[in-house]
Amino acid sequence: MPHLPLVSHRTSTRIGVIVVGLALAGGTAACGPKSGGGAKAADASPHRGGTLYVLNNQAQEDFDPARLYTSGGGNVPSLVYRTLTTRNRADGAAGSKVVPDLATDTGEPSQNATVWTYHLKDGLTYEDGTPITTADIKYDIERSFAPELSGGAPYLRDWLVGAAGYQGPYKDPKGLSAIQTPDAKTIVFHLNKPEGEFPLLATQTSFAPVPKAKDTGVNYAEHPVSSGPYRVVKNENNGEHLVLVRNPHWSAATDSQRKAYPDTIDVQSGLDQAVIDQRLSAGVGKDADAVTTDTNLGPAELAKITGDKNLASRVGTGHFGYTDYIAFNPKVKPFDNIKVREAIAYAVNRTTVINAQGGSSLNEPATTFLPPQASFGYTPYDPFPAGATGNPAKAKELLKEAGYPNGLTVSLTHDVTKGDEQGPEVATAIQEALKLAGITVKLDGQEHNAFSDKVHDLKTEPGFFLAGWGADWPSGGPFLGPIFDGRQIVSGGSNFNNAQLDDPAVNNEIDAINKITDLKAAAVRWGALDKKIGEQALTVPLYHPVYKRLFGKNIRNVVISDWTGVLDISQVAVK
Amino acid sequence: MAAVEAGTGATAPVPASGARQIWRRLRTRRAAMAGGAVVLLLALAAVGAPLLAAIEGQDTTTYHANLVDSAAGGVPLGHLGGISGSHWLGVEPGTGRDLFARLVYGARVSLGIALAATALQVVIGVALGLAAGLGTRWVDSLLSRITDVFVVMPALILAIALLAVVPGGFPRPVLLALVLGLLAWGGFAKIVRAQVLTLKSLDYVAASRLAGSSPWRTARREMLPALVAPVLTYAAVTLPTNIVSEAGLSFLGIGVVPPTPSWGQMLSSATTWYQADTSYVVIPALMVFVTVLAFTVLAEGIRTALDPRAAARLRVGTKAGSRAGAAAMDAEKESGAMGARKASDAVPGTRARTDARTDSGPDTRSDSRHQDAGGEGA
Repeated sequence: MPHLPLVSHRTSTRIGVIVVGLALAGGTAACGPKSGGGAKAADASPHRGGTLYVLNNQAQEDFDPARLYTSGGGNVPSLVYRTLTTRNRADGAAGSKVVPDLATDTGEPSQNATVWTYHLKDGLTYEDGTPITTADIKYDIERSFAPELSGGAPYLRDWLVGAAGYQGPYKDPKGLSAIQTPDAKTIVFHLNKPEGEFPLLATQTSFAPVPKAKDTGVNYAEHPVSSGPYRVVKNENNGEHLVLVRNPHWSAATDSQRKAYPDTIDVQSGLDQAVIDQRLSAGVGKDADAVTTDTNLGPAELAKITGDKNLASRVGTGHFGYTDYIAFNPKVKPFDNIKVREAIAYAVNRTTVINAQGGSSLNEPATTFLPPQASFGYTPYDPFPAGATGNPAKAKELLKEAGYPNGLTVSLTHDVTKGDEQGPEVATAIQEALKLAGITVKLDGQEHNAFSDKVHDLKTEPGFFLAGWGADWPSGGPFLGPIFDGRQIVSGGSNFNNAQLDDPAVNNEIDAINKITDLKAAAVRWGALDKKIGEQALTVPLYHPVYKRLFGKNIRNVVISDWTGVLDISQVAVK
Repeated sequence: MAAVEAGTGATAPVPASGARQIWRRLRTRRAAMAGGAVVLLLALAAVGAPLLAAIEGQDTTTYHANLVDSAAGGVPLGHLGGISGSHWLGVEPGTGRDLFARLVYGARVSLGIALAATALQVVIGVALGLAAGLGTRWVDSLLSRITDVFVVMPALILAIALLAVVPGGFPRPVLLALVLGLLAWGGFAKIVRAQVLTLKSLDYVAASRLAGSSPWRTARREMLPALVAPVLTYAAVTLPTNIVSEAGLSFLGIGVVPPTPSWGQMLSSATTWYQADTSYVVIPALMVFVTVLAFTVLAEGIRTALDPRAAARLRVGTKAGSRAGAAAMDAEKESGAMGARKASDAVPGTRARTDARTDSGPDTRSDSRHQDAGGEGA
């Protein structure tokens, strides 16, 4: 199934920005590894009031809870939409946990994790003071099935019993029978297979309440009814400029996660990334009260900041679970030969690859497919230990065994977009490293969309290309499933199982883990599965990106979770 | 205007001794000589790129991870972008590839493409210009309208579109030269056609035609020699434009593909580094600037050498202008070989124009044609 939004890091950042709001990473007491600027934010205690400015590149398009594709409810969206569960607003690994939001707990599983029941907290109201009911949550989920409100995540369509053909409440007012609301405070979900990670899915905005009486269909995004600490007073040009003010009916008594310090939050998008970094580093006027949720520091900006302690203290560092890797299609020769794939795994020089992508501050070398966070089930392993700079001698040996004593010539498909994680810089670094092992790499550069179409279509999928993957929530399931589950091989342009692996052992293990509702126990199993798959050399993990983002001089209480890797707007104060 | 005027000046075919004349005049123009020297140097560097890189002991593709500060975004270690005895112009941020080697190899690509594109433009432009000037009314209008289309077309935008659709397997430098050459020949065609119209009305050409020369023979024997000057001048002006176009297309990421270096591509990757690693931006930018300037100065020199009176005309009314005018007149006198008829032609260009008008008679087409010709030069 197409988990498109997080497929490439670019896309993920884009969607993230729009939706997930992979906000600026801030450095308070951020326990995230290598968090910057602890001192500054720590000594200044946060106060209510003021206006927070968010300077972004990508607009908050389709600001409708049914249309947003979020991880953990998003950054900006989460200010307006409360959901059944949400991500824990805490630094680092603690931020990868799922916690209750509108619900009293993260869900009660029954019948082998195929039935999930939630109860709402007391005293929950919308911005107009009317009470929030479970029927409203059911209604928003139904809306997310409506073709006119496209864009949301595909999971519920696959998971809910009998939901695959549902066309939304406008065409089919009877609604989804898989969701029951026995009373105004209870909601029950019936799934067609065990899904131990259902509470993580329930953080997405499709689990936010939408009052049926106030639904204006495609126009709902302009004046959505808020259940969160802020309400939308202005939404210009489809999310290009959003102005949010305090929702008087929101109460911290029912919401332990959102701090909501500023009185107003002004989200301006459509800015050039270089401009955002420049404005944040200069911090003139209102820009001192500004953050960005979607603009990373580039290598050149990082070089500039490295020499400036003052600026360096205003950089937030975060880790969003993401892996950039070389993908093989073993259906194409010579990649059907595992020795050839292993040779490439040994020949790759991760140091030059990382330098091509901005250096060691912006990327960490990867040898596992899972990102290095416990919530994903990270289990360190390196099946082809070649050190940081590669082992061309070992690669040559393997090539000889594979029947290529004189080396071979292969074609590497990549995106021509400069600076892209699948872009020419990375491709050229790999080309140069493989040259030392006797492998001549021809670069097959494709325009961004053409590249995406080519590598995700079974008919055109090349044998050797660059890829990246991020999960919709911090767990091994959405990370390994779409890439290695044989039943998720899809024809028609949205296949992410690049190796076209359909191994019953792998498929069965995925099913077995999905039954586990203890996420920690599941994580251990995901880690073991990752290791087992890794030995087949179907991918060569290259690096995990690190987010480094500037925030303004007056910004306090910077919290960066490992769930999003960016600063959480709901925690930030400007006073 | 300049090019046409230069051509108009050459109403008489340049005699065999003209080349020496021109060279003598060119030699006196110090700026042009300097431009020529720079161009020559660049050409030598481009041709001798492998040798130069070998002397330095570097190549264009080897990564030097030890020469960049990975934690600081990959900025080169050391001063001025890592300039050292073994890396004369420093190294590229991120990769640590040698910049000197990339620059001289980049010269090959940038100059090579520009040269090939210009040659193609000349061939197409001259052929179509001649055909339009000598052909029937129908041929002329058809070719002229086609030329108009190519002149007004935003070549760069079309080039972007074309480069995006051609499959990746096609050799990129050849493709770039082809695209630039096939799109931007309009100027040449217009100048040549205008020149041919003027020449056609001259007595010696008319005589040749009356004597039964075929259009082909007329073109070859009477027209081409007289076209050398304006075409050469215009080519010298166009070449730097093509360099900039190549740089622009590579800058946009649709020019040459990595790891082949070109100046435009270097500039493109360098833009974000202007604060952190200034020399990385300055070096390729300076190369493009110096090259374009050298070609432009040289072109200007060639133009005035071919038609010294043009310079005088262009500066009429200014002090410098009158001085230049006087100098030009001196040059004129000195060039006795040019023949008394031409030297006595006090207001160059008018004669040909008057001729054309007289000639046109009631045929308004011819008249409008001529205005076309005049306008095109402007």
